[in-house]
Amino acid sequence: MSVDDQPGLYVESTIIMTTVRVVAPFVLTFALFIMFHGADSPGGGFQGGVIAGSVVMMLAFAFGIESTRRWLDIRVVAALASGGVLVFAAIGLGAIALGGQFLQYTEYQPYYADASKYGIELVELGIGGIVASVAIGLFFLLAAGFGHVTEGER
Amino acid sequence: MTLTLLEGALLLFVVGCGLGAALLKDTLASVISFAAYSLGVSIIWLILQAPDVGLTEAAVGAGIMTILFLLALANTVTPDADRLLERVRWRTVALVGAFVVVMGATVPALPTIGDPTAPVVSGDVTQYYLTNAYDQTGVHNAVTAVLAAYRGFDTLGEAVVVFSAGVVALSVLRREVFA
Repeated sequence: MSVDDQPGLYVESTIIMTTVRVVAPFVLTFALFIMFHGADSPGGGFQGGVIAGSVVMMLAFAFGIESTRRWLDIRVVAALASGGVLVFAAIGLGAIALGGQFLQYTEYQPYYADASKYGIELVELGIGGIVASVAIGLFFLLAAGFGHVTEGER
Repeated sequence: MTLTLLEGALLLFVVGCGLGAALLKDTLASVISFAAYSLGVSIIWLILQAPDVGLTEAAVGAGIMTILFLLALANTVTPDADRLLERVRWRTVALVGAFVVVMGATVPALPTIGDPTAPVVSGDVTQYYLTNAYDQTGVHNAVTAVLAAYRGFDTLGEAVVVFSAGVVALSVLRREVFA
């Protein structure tokens, strides 16, 4: 039993669909702005990631959870989650490999100008990826509930 | 301590919404009340000049949490609420009241908002971050500098906790993929 099968939970509405179609790119841009600009203004990976995740939820409200689930490439979600952790850890451990301490951005300075600033941006992006994909994942997991398991095992 | 009209109204709103979330019998009403509570708290963070925290509270507390609660409600059977308010257990009220009194007793000891002589402002660690953050990390937002550079290892732990929470949710619900 999926969410969309239950009567009354998803209502197809032209107004909501049109609004979401127009607003979604702007919300995603805002999420990226929060992530990137977190170095110089309030925000960062955690907040931007949540906003990016909410774009998918918005789509799910407009077009139905099941259709959004089918449209979404699960490999992207999984890659964002594990990639975020890997990027963060790689930047940290890379500094050790270059002879510094964990996450000592200045170790990258000889190879890239403003290494510290860009290192922090990359870390924020990694965090954003993790948070966005986990938020999306929890959303779809809760929407499916236990119903999907019994359906698959039958 | 003097409150401006806006602060007083927000505090009243937050306390009212908190009581509503705790006392309303209908779970849907309770969730909505909780979302309103989070929104009020996020505005209070803004007034207290903590926009980073306010942004998180608005996005996570008022946004994602409400959606997840609503989804959980949609997937469970909600008994019809025959009355508006939850039955109040006085022993719980006494316990919570005692907790509030203990916490409230510490409030007068806090420095006033924006006090330049507050211990946290004049502390060595704070001053070190404020003077050196830009030179050492190249970012203007000292919060981000502490989060991603000075305390980067802690933040890696935080990020891994979020990642693990997703993986654990997968295994608890016995699914293999996120979507």
